[in-house]
Amino acid sequence: MAVQHDDLDAAADDWLIGKAQAGDVDAYEVLVRRHRNRIYRIALRMLANPHDAEDVAQDVVIQLWTALAGFTGEGAFTTWLYRIVVNRCLNLVRRRPPVRPILDSDHPPTVGADDEVVARQRSEATLRAIGSMQPDLRAVFVLQQIEGLSYQEVATILDVPEATVRGRLYRARRHLLDTLRSWS
Amino acid sequence: MTIPRSDGRLACGRDVQGILDQVAEGRAAERDAHQSGCLHCWAALAEYDRLWSPVRELAAERVEAPASVLEVALEKIRQVVEHADYGLLGSAEGLTRISVRVVVAIARRSAQEVPGVRVALSRYRPGPGAEGGTAAASPRAAAGVTGGTTTVEVTLAADYGTDLVDLGDRVRRAVAARVRELTGMEPASVSVVVDDVLGER
Repeated sequence: MAVQHDDLDAAADDWLIGKAQAGDVDAYEVLVRRHRNRIYRIALRMLANPHDAEDVAQDVVIQLWTALAGFTGEGAFTTWLYRIVVNRCLNLVRRRPPVRPILDSDHPPTVGADDEVVARQRSEATLRAIGSMQPDLRAVFVLQQIEGLSYQEVATILDVPEATVRGRLYRARRHLLDTLRSWS
Repeated sequence: MTIPRSDGRLACGRDVQGILDQVAEGRAAERDAHQSGCLHCWAALAEYDRLWSPVRELAAERVEAPASVLEVALEKIRQVVEHADYGLLGSAEGLTRISVRVVVAIARRSAQEVPGVRVALSRYRPGPGAEGGTAAASPRAAAGVTGGTTTVEVTLAADYGTDLVDLGDRVRRAVAARVRELTGMEPASVSVVVDDVLGER
C-alpha cells in the first residue's frame, strides 16, 4: 500500500483556520496552498480527468472559504477536507452519464515505445480503469488504496460502517484486477 | 495463469480474497507456512503482484495541482470579499451576481413546503469573509455566499408528532435541491434548527 506523505502540520493548520475564520484571506491562501495538491490529487483519481479535477479543485477552494465558518475543529481538518472533496466528486459523477466501458484501445502499450511513454500511458490507463468503477467503490479505493488512509478514517469520511469499507474495497480490487488482467 | 475455482478458492483451498488483499497491501512476499510450500499460492501471489504493479506506480506518483487552480479560486474569493452580499457565477458570456437575500428567500420557501414544517424562518450564517460586513450590517440574512457556494441556515417550528430527525433530513434535501436548481449555486451546508413543535392548528 502506498501512502501519500504530505507535509502535515495540524497545529499550523489550526492556527491558519482560526485566522481564516476571522476573515483573513491571506491566511486562507496559505492554508489552501498547503493542501492544494491533496485536493487536486483526490479529484483527479476520483474523476480520471484532469479538466474535471481542476474544476472540482477550484470549486472546493471556493466552497471551503464559506464552509470554514462551520468547521468546529472537533475532527481533523484533513478528514473534513477529504469529505468535501469526495462528496463534490461524487455529486459530479452522479450527475453525468455513466463512464464508457474500458476499450481495447485504452490498454497501455507493452512494446514499441520508450519506457517513459509506456509508464505515462500505463498510469493514464490505470486511472481510467479506476474511473470505470462504480462511484461508491471508487471513493473507497482512492481513499484507502491510493491515499493510504485507514479503514476507520475512510469510514468516517464516507459516513459508512468500517465493514462496508472493507466490502467495497474488496469489490473494487477485484474489479481492477480483472481489468488489469485483460491487459496481459 | 492461476485460475480460481468457481467458489473463489485456489486449487489448494486458499481464499482468493485473502491473496488479493495480501498483494494489494504490499505483503506479497510475506508468505505464511502454507504458502511457503504451496505452488498454487506461489503462482497466485506472483501473478497478482505482477498485475497489481500499475496500481502501486499510480499510488506512488507525485501529483502537483496546476497553479491556475488556486489563482482562479483565490481571485474569485477576493472579489467576493469586496461584494459579500452577492454570490458570483461566472460563464463564458459574463458574470451573474445573486444576492444573498435571494438564497434566503428560496431556502425559507422550500423549507415551508416540506410536510411537517409549520413555519420556517431564516437566520444568518455568515462565511468567514462576512465578519463586520454582511453579518453585522444585515442581521436578518439567512445565508452566506462566496463565489458559487452558499451556506444556509433554516429555523423552523414543526407539527407536533413529526419525526424531527427525518424532518431535518427532508428539509435539508429540499432546500439544497431547490437552491441548486434555481440559483446554480452549490449549497455547502444546510443547517436546520427545529426551534419548536406546535399542536393542532
